[in-house]
Parts: sequence; structure tokens; C-alpha cells
Amino acid sequence: MIHDSIIRPQLVTGDKTLHDVTTEICRPIENKPSTEWKVGFTLAVIFLGILGLTLTVTMLMGIGTWGLNKTVQWGWDITNFVFWVGIGHAGTLISAILLLFRQKWRMSINRSAEAMTIFAVMCAAVFPLFHQGRLWVGMYWVLPLPNAFGSLWVNFHSPLLWDVFAITTYFSVSLVFWYLGLIPDIATVRDRAKTAGRKFWYNFFSMGWTGSVRTWNRYEVVSLILAGISTPLVLSVHTIVSMDFATSVVPGWHTTIFPPYFVAGAIFSGFGMVLTLLVIARKVMNYQDYITIGHLEAMCKVVMLTGTMVGLAYITEFFVAAYSGVEYEQYAFINRATGPYWWAYWSMMTCNLIAPQVFWFKWARTTPWFIFMLSIVVNVGMWFERFVIIVTSLHREYLPSGWVMYSPTMVEIGIFLGTFGLFFTCFFLFAKFLPVINMSEVKSILKNRE
Amino acid sequence: MIDSKLYLDKNKTVMFGIFENPDKFLETVGKVHGKGPNILDCYTPFPVHGIEKAMGLKRSLLPIGAFMFGCLGFVTAFLLQFYMMRYDWVMVIGNKPSIGVSWMPVLFELSVLFTAFGLAFLFFLRNKLLHGKMPSERIDLRQTDDRMIIAVATDNASIERSELTSMLFDGGAVEVKERTNHDYDDYTDVEVKRDNSNS
Repeated sequence: MIHDSIIRPQLVTGDKTLHDVTTEICRPIENKPSTEWKVGFTLAVIFLGILGLTLTVTMLMGIGTWGLNKTVQWGWDITNFVFWVGIGHAGTLISAILLLFRQKWRMSINRSAEAMTIFAVMCAAVFPLFHQGRLWVGMYWVLPLPNAFGSLWVNFHSPLLWDVFAITTYFSVSLVFWYLGLIPDIATVRDRAKTAGRKFWYNFFSMGWTGSVRTWNRYEVVSLILAGISTPLVLSVHTIVSMDFATSVVPGWHTTIFPPYFVAGAIFSGFGMVLTLLVIARKVMNYQDYITIGHLEAMCKVVMLTGTMVGLAYITEFFVAAYSGVEYEQYAFINRATGPYWWAYWSMMTCNLIAPQVFWFKWARTTPWFIFMLSIVVNVGMWFERFVIIVTSLHREYLPSGWVMYSPTMVEIGIFLGTFGLFFTCFFLFAKFLPVINMSEVKSILKNRE
Repeated sequence: MIDSKLYLDKNKTVMFGIFENPDKFLETVGKVHGKGPNILDCYTPFPVHGIEKAMGLKRSLLPIGAFMFGCLGFVTAFLLQFYMMRYDWVMVIGNKPSIGVSWMPVLFELSVLFTAFGLAFLFFLRNKLLHGKMPSERIDLRQTDDRMIIAVATDNASIERSELTSMLFDGGAVEVKERTNHDYDDYTDVEVKRDNSNS
């Protein structure tokens, strides 16, 4: 029997029965799409169209349509890549790491967070694929396949190749974990389906699930093992992404703090995006009893913790640069704070180090509109962090004769905005056709407290 | 090793107790199992904590399979890198050794990838789950909603039918029925009343 605490807040409020959980969570799937959904989906599809257009322009006319140059070879493209990969990490943390820590509050948010991971990694993948310029060869040149050049293999010493393996594995494993978790809930929707089309598709994807306890037993074992392997995976993926920079010799990049700094930053930005999505979703879909203020508060605490870790990393970088006596490293940081991109640096510092400190106050952690605004601040701040790391370090490297400015073109801006279109299109489709909250897990904690 | 699935057993009669309350359900399962091994399976809309012990289920061997797939992934990654970086075309990059710590990321990633996919594959295989397959045991459409079901073979040595019926009703079952399987997808359901008569 599960011990019920009388002190901690309930995980699911509103005195729900098992049937209530089923009907309420299946409601958006079974009803016609709401006006909010239609408006949001239309906007998302428009931005997806912008993505298609800008990527087509890039492929037809080349990387010259972007603002990159010989000095700043990575600009908005890799900034956005790291931004989206980072966002994906919160989903795996909520699904996997919180499962290992037996944090039951993860149960009502893990499905949407894991979906967010999958869609974010899809958005991230756009950038390394397309920034190669010739997608039609670039997409297979990164793979270790035999070829007609004797065979010329890929370089396993390079973090860029480790990235290929890491991102592919991360996407695949997250997809498997998400889908396995969905099977019992798809079975629930299948058993309630009225039309032939719904019956067919939900039956197809539920794979004959009956709710047999023998199957549930194995399901729980599988969830635990997948959580166990996803945890080092999420740490390794963003470590490898950070190695894209840390293994170089560029001042401001070549520091050993990058792996833990990037991982903490990824979790920070990921939770920022989860909060952005869930504060809206719980209001629009009426899920306040499932995604309670307590859930939002727990996520705000994680945001504050990881934001402080990121801030500590900033200070450490600065200190080590000063202490090292390496004039190139020292200049990299002076340039960040006082050079032509000072506005980006101070936005980053304000949004990432200073802003999350308001979450020390309980009011801030428990007021949804304020949490939403702070989550946008976090998203913006973390975008600027990647921009500052990449562009300010590259634009003024060792040789002053190579120093240039970088600014994005409309095509680059369009691709970035378009990835939001891809993300939200996928998310709206997910919200319409699949249960956003894990019904079976929520049913198992109906009378539980944290 | 193979579970006796209801639909496979022709002319076998199975009694189902359908419950609403998870705690009462768990207690009844424990009591019925306490009489002897007679529970074919239970069906719940969510994983009920403690039911594996109550039913006497053995530990799953899936972790062993997962580990083996992980080892396969590790060996694959090692051989892949060995063949390409050391055997076929050795390229000295940055004076780094051909075999070295730079292999670790790919070794780790492929181990995880193989573990995840292998485990998912084994899970589907073991539970006989397949895309497009109809659910093999559907006792009540609400078994994925809010009903918990215990399935007991009526012709077993450990418990009498009448004793089983009263145990189920006393344990809180809202409905008890008997199903006789004639063939796959062909069965007859009969409701059992508290006084042991059929309707």
C-alpha cells in the first residue's frame, strides 16, 4: 500500500475518479478541435511554410544566402541547433531522471515534455543537415558508409561525428520511450473510439494492448531500464554538443567547463520551454487539476537551480580567463562584455543569472502568468547564451585582421522562425490526436501526494 | 515460459471478477492466489502497485536481454571504429592514436541505441504485441478505463467454483462472469450471480 502523506499537496486535485481521468484527458481527442486549437495550428502551419520556403531558397541558391563569412563560419545556424537540442533535454529529464528519483509529480507532465523533446530534436536536426549546403550529399556523408573513394571513412576523433551518433541515438531512444508510454493510453482511446477510422488507427498503434498485468509488469521493467539508459544519454548528448566547441582552440570555447555548463544550460532552457507550453496548455485545455500549481512550482525550482548553475559557470569562465593570464582568453570575455555585441551578453546575463532568482519568492513560483513571462525570459536568455558563445568568440579570434561583424539575413531569420512553426505544428497535432497527459500513470497516483 | 492465453484454450471456461476499487481488487487477488496457482491473468487500466507479488509473478528476464543487446552495441561500435580507423584506412588526425578515448562517445551511444531498440523489440515479442493486432483478451471495454479484472480458470484443483464466486463478490467485485472459449474470437459470456446461479 502506498503511504499517503497528509502534509504534502495532492498530485491530482478535484476528487477525480478513474473514469473522470479517462473522459477529461480523452476529451480534446474525441471532440471537434477548439477555436484556440484551430487558430494556433493555422499560425504554426504558416510558419512551417516559411521554413519550407527559406530552406528551399538555401538549397537552391546556397549558403551565400546566409550571413556567414570566413571568420564567423557558425552563426545563427549552430546557435539555433544548440538552442533546440538544449530544449529537448528537459523532456528526457522529466521522463527518465525524475522516474529514477521516484518523483511522482512528473506523471502528469512527462508525456508532453517527452513529445516536446522529440519535436525539438527534429527542429535541431534541420540545422546540421542544411548548414552543410548540399543536403543531397551531406545527409549521407556523415554516415560511416562504404563509398567509391577507396572507401573514405568518417573521422571518429571528431565531436561533429560524435554528434551524429549522439543526436540520432537521442532522437530514437526518446521516440521509443515516448511511444512505449503511449501504448496503454492509445488502447484506452481505442476502446472508446466510435468511428471506423479512429478504431482502425488507434487499434493499429495500440498493438493489441489489453491491460494484462503480466504485460504491465514487463512494461514497468522496460520503463525503468529505458529511464536508466536515457539518463546518461541526456548527459552525454549535450556534453558531446559542447565538445563541438570545447575541443577547438577558439578563445572562449576551449574550456573544460563546457560539458557541465552546457548540460545545466540545456536543462534550464528545456524547463523554460516546458513551462511556456504547459502554463498555456493547462489553461486552454482545463487541466489545472492535473498540472497543478505544485507542478509549476517544482519546475520553477528546477529552473532556478539550473539557472544558478549556469550563472556560476559564467563566473567561473570569467575567473579562469582572468586567472590564466592568457590574453586571448581574457580579451574574449572583455569583448563579450564591452565589445560590439555587448547588448547580447548583458541580455544573456540578465535573463539567465539575475531573472531566475525571483523564484526564491513563493509568489513568483506559484503565479502562472508570472511563470509564463519568466519562462519566455529564460528561452530568450538561453538563445542569447548560444549566440554569445558562438558569434562573439568567432568574430574576434586570434588575428585582428580577420575581425568582422556578423548579422543574420532574412533567410536565416526565416529558418529560425520556421522551426518554431515545425515545433508547434507537431505539438498541436500531438495535442489533438494523442492524450497529452499519461492517463495510466495519473490513475495510479489519484489519491497520492508528492 | 509461454503464458496460457485465454483465446488459445478452446472449450476452457474462465471466470472473471470485475472490480472498481483498486485496493479491494489487490486484496482479492492476494486471497485468490493464496489458495493456490489459479490466476490466469489480471487486467488493469494502470499498473497497480504490489500486484505482481499478490499474483505470484516471476521477475522478468527482459533486463538480461537488454544487457545482451547493450553488449552487442558496444562490440558493434568497437568493430566499426576499429575497422575504419585502424584497419582499413588509418588516418593520423592531430597526432591522436587510432585507438583511443575519442572512441568512447560512439561506443556509449551505440550501446544505448542497441539496448533501447533491442529492449523494445523483446518487449513486443514477449507480450505478443504487434501493430494492427486486435486485443486478444477483451473482457470489458472498460478494462482500459476504470475496471480491474481478475481471470481465474474455473477447472483448477486449488479452489471450488462456488468458493471462488463468493470470494470475488465478498472482495468487492461489481460483476462476475464466466466465459467459455470455442475458438479464437468466438466465446460465450455468462453472468454469474452472487448465489452462484447463471443468468
